[in-house]
Amino acid sequence: MSVTYLEAIREAQTKLLREDERVFIYGQDIAGKFGGAFKATKGLAEKFPGRVLNTPISEDAMVGTAIGAALEGMRPIVEMQFADFSSIALNQILNNAGTHYYRTNVPVPITVRLPSGGTKGSGPFHSQSMEGLYSHYPGIVVMTPATVEDAYTMLIDAVAIDDPVVYCEHKYLYYHLKADALPKESFPVGKARIVRPGRDLTIVTYSAMVHEALAVANELCKDGFEIEIVDLRTVKPLDTATVLASVARTGRLLAVGEAFPWGGVTAEVVSRVAAEGFHLLDAAPARINAKDTPIPYHPNLWTEHRPNRKTIAAKARQVLAE
Amino acid sequence: MPQVPITMPQLGESMAEATIVSIKVKPGDKVSADQEIIEVETDKAVMGVTTPCPGEIAKIDAEVKGTYPVGAVLGYVEASEADAARFQKRAPAPLQGEMAKEIPGREEEAAEAGRTGNGSGSHFQVDDVDLPQVATPVEAAQRGGLPVPASAKGAGYLSPRVRARMAELQLTQADLAGIAGTGTAGRLTIKDLENFLSLIESQPAEKPSAIRTGVADAMRRSWTRPLATVGVSVCLDPVLQDRQLRAGGADGDPKPGPALYALRALALALAEQPNAAARLIGGRAIGSQSIDIGLAVEAGEGIMVPVIRNADKTSLADLTTKYAELVDLARRRRLTADMTSGGIASVSNFGTFGLDWGTPIPLPDQTMILGLGVGKKTPVWDESKKEFVPKIEAQVTLSFDHRSLDGGGAGRLLKRVIELLEDPKKL
Repeated sequence: MSVTYLEAIREAQTKLLREDERVFIYGQDIAGKFGGAFKATKGLAEKFPGRVLNTPISEDAMVGTAIGAALEGMRPIVEMQFADFSSIALNQILNNAGTHYYRTNVPVPITVRLPSGGTKGSGPFHSQSMEGLYSHYPGIVVMTPATVEDAYTMLIDAVAIDDPVVYCEHKYLYYHLKADALPKESFPVGKARIVRPGRDLTIVTYSAMVHEALAVANELCKDGFEIEIVDLRTVKPLDTATVLASVARTGRLLAVGEAFPWGGVTAEVVSRVAAEGFHLLDAAPARINAKDTPIPYHPNLWTEHRPNRKTIAAKARQVLAE
Repeated sequence: MPQVPITMPQLGESMAEATIVSIKVKPGDKVSADQEIIEVETDKAVMGVTTPCPGEIAKIDAEVKGTYPVGAVLGYVEASEADAARFQKRAPAPLQGEMAKEIPGREEEAAEAGRTGNGSGSHFQVDDVDLPQVATPVEAAQRGGLPVPASAKGAGYLSPRVRARMAELQLTQADLAGIAGTGTAGRLTIKDLENFLSLIESQPAEKPSAIRTGVADAMRRSWTRPLATVGVSVCLDPVLQDRQLRAGGADGDPKPGPALYALRALALALAEQPNAAARLIGGRAIGSQSIDIGLAVEAGEGIMVPVIRNADKTSLADLTTKYAELVDLARRRRLTADMTSGGIASVSNFGTFGLDWGTPIPLPDQTMILGLGVGKKTPVWDESKKEFVPKIEAQVTLSFDHRSLDGGGAGRLLKRVIELLEDPKKL
């Protein structure tokens, strides 16, 4: 038996609906035979009648209603059709949910699922990575699972957490990534994982870029370079201790992210290492992101727009050679 | 009539400012175009400032011995409308004091973008004419900004991590001299350092004595300066004869050794030429109140340099007594800090080790050290007798900070020392 990243998300929701009656799912076209744009909820409406609900095409209303339900003791999951559309609900997520506990001491345990990142030919409105934007605001946990196992356990954790959680699931990994079985145990939330140990260069990354970084590490291994890869898992909170410990081993840092280059997660990683671990650095810290333009539609342009194993490898060699 | 400014010209590539040596005109003087009217001196040469146009000197603001930056207005020429207009046309637009707009290293990137853009198989054509104009470092500097280094990767670059590790282990750059760096342009990486440290870990090591560590530190600090050495032969026979004549004294007073004669001669020479020992610190030549001279003494595993105060005003006999006391204290390690500090020069008698010649290193807070080689019987041509005669000769060296003193100055000082040694009645 094997499980894909997408199936893990569906299985996690099945388990949550089965074991916790406070859980329900809001989304566009997620109920009925359609089962959502990516089939993440396929079959769940039949299995759990009245708990997998179609909404009008209003992200603002979806999140607003979920906040109200959460305040009444429910544990809603909101599915955005694409991460890009969540910008319509920014006011609800950032201003209302993000500040509610601070203002009233009443938590807002909602989970907003964002199908994130690029796939070929998806263009500027169906490819964006929004984790940097949500991380900028206080009061929100931002998860970016990179593996089938994390996709499963972190969604269960997201619903259990009392704070609002933005759960960024990567569309490219939906079908490409498979595991043998679903995990029994979860790795703690907020803790980064050393995916591959090394001693020459630390690559800090998350989500789909973990797999590009692994390919780069395998390629550079042939030249004798041992690259350590840190998967952040949750970009907020950011596990600075694990990152610094890794840079202490290697002395060199490359942060890789698929989001736009201005600010964001990779900038935060470089900033923290430069500020708290300046004495650990043997070379200037580097980062690589998507380009600072809207995401192109053409497959060839898209491949060059986001970081890929070719551009990451070139940057890694540059940092290693310094 | 319009007044045209006389400005400090850029007289050399690296020139930033110049000092006025003389002003050859006064207000009211008639001048022609390109007439040399002011002499200025830079760190390289004396050069002339010329008039911007013909006319009459209206006024001179600059003062002799004053230092003015490039572009500063030194005075004005009153010129006819026509001449002034012609000058305005020739004069470059005034420079604005704004920061560099572009980072110089970006030039390469821009050039590369141009190349790839025009290469075959590209989807896009980049028009060369539209490429952004990037400031060169010189242009950027002239606009008032600093030239920005393209990267920090050269051979001398130490990364934050290497620096932190050096600080932790109390290493200096001199300690790392034996490591060949493997980074960009031979930069020493943290791995080079750790490999080196683990390599020396397997070799026998012991803690050096305090005196060894002290000497090492002093020599390393001194070596940061440009040091030079000059040397000359001296006939020691007069000194040795003088020494014979000096009674040892009934109470067993010691006789002075050749090194003390040399110390005394250096003290007298420096009393005549005190500027030779001045220390250059931050653009000031620091002199001294008294001629205090140190004498290097081998003690234990290192060298101690006790200082004899007012050596120019102390007789050779008193110097001998004082020296004997200090050497005794040094060998018993009883010298206090004030007995070894404040000297302006020192003497090293490396001849006692049988050595002919050496380049001793001055103490870090002194400008020079005089070295005395071993005396040897040498055939010397005597012009009056037309034959070789045997003489005891030794080599005397002077090692000095070349920032403070040049070969000529050092030679004159050394020559005076020789004169005194060859006529020891003056000592």
